[in-house]
Amino acid sequence: MIAIKNLTKVYQNGQIEVAALRTVNLTVAAKEFVSIMGPSGSGKSTMMNIIGCLDKSTEGEYCLDQVNISSLKDDDLADIRNKKIGFIFQSFNLLPKLTALENVELPMVYAGIGAKERKDRALDALKKVGLEDRVFHKPNELSGGQMQRVAIARALVNQPSILLADEPTGNLDSRSGEEIMGIFQDLNQEGATIVMVTHEPEIAAYTKRIVTFRDGEIISDELVKNTLSTRRNLV
Amino acid sequence: MNLVESVKSAFRSVFSNKMRSFLTMLGIIIGISSVIMITSIGQGSQAALTGEFDKLGVNMLTISLKDPSKATSRDQLIIEDMEIIKNHPQVTSVTPLYQGGNAQIQLRNPKEYRSSILIGVNESYKDISALNFIYGRFLIDTDVKMKSKVAIIDDGLAKVIFGYDDVIGQQIYVQVKQVKHPFTVIGVIKNPMGDFASLFPDQMPTMLYMPIGAVHDLYGTNRIQNFAVAIQDKDKINDTSLELTKMLEKKHRNENQYYVQSATESLDVVNKVLGYFTAFISFVAGISLLVGGIGVMNIMLVTVTERTREIGIRKSLGAKNKDIRIQFLIEAMILTIIGGLIGMALGYLGGLGIGSLMKIAPKVSFIVVSLTVTLSSMIGIIFGVYPANKAAKLDPIEALRYE
Repeated sequence: MIAIKNLTKVYQNGQIEVAALRTVNLTVAAKEFVSIMGPSGSGKSTMMNIIGCLDKSTEGEYCLDQVNISSLKDDDLADIRNKKIGFIFQSFNLLPKLTALENVELPMVYAGIGAKERKDRALDALKKVGLEDRVFHKPNELSGGQMQRVAIARALVNQPSILLADEPTGNLDSRSGEEIMGIFQDLNQEGATIVMVTHEPEIAAYTKRIVTFRDGEIISDELVKNTLSTRRNLV
Repeated sequence: MNLVESVKSAFRSVFSNKMRSFLTMLGIIIGISSVIMITSIGQGSQAALTGEFDKLGVNMLTISLKDPSKATSRDQLIIEDMEIIKNHPQVTSVTPLYQGGNAQIQLRNPKEYRSSILIGVNESYKDISALNFIYGRFLIDTDVKMKSKVAIIDDGLAKVIFGYDDVIGQQIYVQVKQVKHPFTVIGVIKNPMGDFASLFPDQMPTMLYMPIGAVHDLYGTNRIQNFAVAIQDKDKINDTSLELTKMLEKKHRNENQYYVQSATESLDVVNKVLGYFTAFISFVAGISLLVGGIGVMNIMLVTVTERTREIGIRKSLGAKNKDIRIQFLIEAMILTIIGGLIGMALGYLGGLGIGSLMKIAPKVSFIVVSLTVTLSSMIGIIFGVYPANKAAKLDPIEALRYE
């Protein structure tokens, strides 16, 4: 699914060159649930942006679903983001003037899907995250956990190849955070590939594999032996 | 993203910021409404003038000196030339016209005067002009023959002198070259400028019609500025002009000194002048449109900055640069097109208002309307492109990080 070979990212900061990623190699197979960890400045956010096709590598190769992303143009990248990637952000990033339903419809608007199908699919996605009774609420009428669930519904709605979550529980209380992780685990169970950036070991414990970055390099990559289940904590 | 969705989302953001959108539109509204108002009044006056000329008929000629500044005293048209003109078989009536300036009319307070123009004509003037009588009558041939000291004044002047307008038989005092002459009022006409004149009573020139001989006596001259001639057959208008010119040249023993203008020609000239005038004022109003357009650009730039994060979110969800560009471009166009439509309505109403004040039916032509709509959407495009491009080019990562 994700195949990254010798990937390097260098930022030009005035005269100084800063290497955010140094010859990183990473492979993520379908149906994996991976967390990327590391202190700030370790390169995990850069990795996330590159996997999410928001940024391009300086050197090396990144293939997503056998498509070499490194050689694509802006518009093609937008297309990939639209169809193959579902973003979930720490600060939810919902559009404040749109209702939950309209927010979820947005990726399908850019995919050129008709209004009727859009509404049906958005309703399905919201149902999946348990928000069928909140579809006409605007973000400021929802709790943090609910907003993140709208964001997950939005990320899911175009049936992407991977879900990319950047500190998805960072702005939530622990109970809402656990709920979100429960949804991720359910989605993963159903076959979704999830890559999640976090710096909280407790959150990473819900995933199946932990990749740790430091100074732009992967320093460890191991499977989680006893993945924590959210089930037993939730009533 | 298809166009319908873009338009919907643009409408949503324009209306979510009503006050700002309205203020931004205001520049466009003022610009468009001024252009519409001015052109509708301009075209209305042209139509009114054309109607006036039509009423008088198209078989009219005016004979005058081609260039009075170059004419010698031999070339001057004089009252005696009238006989030649009158004897032409095509001519049905003719009136001389002498305009005497620097005349002062004594007002109710004997120390106050108003400057006026004295127009010396004969009884035929009535046939070739559209005077609107309220009281009394125009000159008759005995008035002209006897050089009677009688005058036709307009109702505005009558009110200023006497305080009312039915002043037939009253004496007025006309001062020319320091000498005061009494004249008897025999007719009162409606001021041709109508109510418009009453708005500026001191600025409008007053015209008094008097027998040509009487005016000549006041000024001690026998010159004529022009002859107005009505002819029988309007198809012979060109031949008659030529023949009349020839006859006058023969009598004055000169060449190429006289100018014969037909009514349609003078209508063309007046229309041309009016057209230039309208175009010039419209141009000035157009500048306010430019200012309005800059206002739109300014607000769109602010909007782009404010919505940087939204742009980042949209891009992360798969919006292409062109989707973002179109969205902001359409927002700018919505502002200018709605502004244009409101401006058009207000301009039309303003035109009606001023038109009723001036007694002119304003005319809004299809061309002007379609031009304004095109113009306002063009302004939206021209002044929206730069902000829209700026939005489209934002880096999604930077935009998502923007607080």
